Amino acid sequence: MPCPPQPRLLLLLPTATYRATAFVEAAHRLGVALTVASELPSTFEQAQPDRLLTLDFSDPERAAQQAYQFARTLPIAGVIGVDDTAAVVAAAIAERLGLKGNPVSAALAARDKHLQRSELARRGVPVPRFELHGLGEDVPDLAARVRYPCVLKPLRLSASRGVIRADDPPEFVAAFARLRQILEQPEVAACGGWARYVLVEDFVPGPEVALEGLVIEGRLHVLGLFDKPDPLDGPFFEETIYLTPSRFPEPARQAIVECGQAAAAALGLREGPIHAELRYNATGPWLIELAARPIGGRCSAVLRFAAGEGGRGTGPASLEELIIRHALGMPLPTLEREERAAGVMMIPVPGAGVLREVRGITEARAVPLVEDVVITAHLGQALVPWPEGSRYPGFIFARGETSEAVEAALRAAHRRLAFVIG
Amino acid sequence: MDAEIRITAEPIDTARCKFLVSLPVHSGGVRRFASSEAAQGSPLAEALFAIPGAEVTEVIVSGNLVTVVKRSPAPWQAIGKSVGAAIRSVLASGHAAVAPKTAAAAAPSGVDDDALYDRVAELFDAQVNPMVARHGGRVELIDVQDAVVMLRMAGGCQGCGMADVTLRQGIEAMLQEAVPEVKGIVDITDHTAGTNPYFAAAKK
Repeated sequence: MPCPPQPRLLLLLPTATYRATAFVEAAHRLGVALTVASELPSTFEQAQPDRLLTLDFSDPERAAQQAYQFARTLPIAGVIGVDDTAAVVAAAIAERLGLKGNPVSAALAARDKHLQRSELARRGVPVPRFELHGLGEDVPDLAARVRYPCVLKPLRLSASRGVIRADDPPEFVAAFARLRQILEQPEVAACGGWARYVLVEDFVPGPEVALEGLVIEGRLHVLGLFDKPDPLDGPFFEETIYLTPSRFPEPARQAIVECGQAAAAALGLREGPIHAELRYNATGPWLIELAARPIGGRCSAVLRFAAGEGGRGTGPASLEELIIRHALGMPLPTLEREERAAGVMMIPVPGAGVLREVRGITEARAVPLVEDVVITAHLGQALVPWPEGSRYPGFIFARGETSEAVEAALRAAHRRLAFVIG
Repeated sequence: MDAEIRITAEPIDTARCKFLVSLPVHSGGVRRFASSEAAQGSPLAEALFAIPGAEVTEVIVSGNLVTVVKRSPAPWQAIGKSVGAAIRSVLASGHAAVAPKTAAAAAPSGVDDDALYDRVAELFDAQVNPMVARHGGRVELIDVQDAVVMLRMAGGCQGCGMADVTLRQGIEAMLQEAVPEVKGIVDITDHTAGTNPYFAAAKK
């Protein structure tokens, strides 16, 4: 008897993603037919047209039409976008092909910080007070009128690139000039009209958390709640450590999750992964960002789900396996994260310059509880600190019985690393 | 001698991990062991298959690189220490870590690896490498053992953020079509050492 055809997944992978290996290997383990679409052609696309596709990520409707043409020959059962831009394209394709996914309007609102704030505020989700300003405005006049402390943000750049805190008018003027320089870089300015605007919002004091979840039929299922033990008080907002489970008391965790659910609903998200950043203080939770995509970088490796079905084999399921299963309508294993504490450190950029050598990797890996140290920057790469930069030189992963022990291991491993910059 | 041997673990995923050793482990090409039976006579492979709780299913040794594949969900942090101890112990013994490739070892499953090697090499020369060369890359065929192809990426492919897409969606797919007897593909590239990747990743 012939085997039933495998469901085909259309995976939208921008060429600058860290996520390729995790998603491609997860699809391979699950035995699904995979077509990878990127914004630039693969050298193998002509030889493997069933498996590789180029889509216009800058024009979601055009990309949806391209995917529709592709699907006339090879039916697509599910679509996933792994970053903010690809998530909008995935939504457009899902709508065009009648697949599980988010409305395009919801994905667009999740991608654009001003649109997102407006929708969330309109529907009563707690967000910082915000204003939208153009790059051409009178900056000294603006600096005299805004409320302090405040945070200046670009509308779309990721990884806190260009996000700067200002505590008074001189700092505001300097921050505005610095952000303008970033937005006027040719590769940014060419991205669209959004690069001509700056979001100015109140700085929300208090610790920050990250919420990872999977939305199924509009309902948020929590996959992980991460503490960020290093204060993110500015002036720049480069992230470092994520730890789970959260050490917040249960009522606070519950309030954070409810806020995330309310935000997802307010934006109209119906299906797929979300990654949200929230702050928590005496007032309660504040929604800072919500993206319709999974956690970025290599950080997803920190999440493992107990008693998963690894497709052909057994063992813990990865975040990517859950997302693929959901997109294709395959049975989902438990969405409960494993019981052990886990954490990841996004290694801070040690300074500006060209990376010449990284010392101490073996010693860092030898720290008890440390599972891996991954250096993603290559030798000869220019390291750019925040707020202009957005690339971490690497990641450290640890797992243990308590979040405290994991945090200590991550810091100990980081102390053993030495970056030689020329 | 132990103190002179430095071993760096590079997990690929929960099942596979590469161990880069500061001393040569095996200089006679690539050896792959797909079972404890096949490992007999090769002290390092025997020791790795015998690690308690690891459920090792495959060992590949090439130059300074040892790749271990396991079935156990145990983290590499725990298993890796046993792997490191086995490597150090075998190297300290002064005996060959891996027995030379024999005719019997070359074809335990009846597959003619030499013939497969020639066909895969032709495919790489005629089609794969001209394609990856457009991105400044190169793919070296290292060996074929038990119908499993071992390769190494270089140039723009080494450390490229899309290397796995090239491997699975390009090279593996072409092998499936042109040389369907090939049962698998193993990338033994040290991607962390790539200095000029065609696509570099940024957090998103």
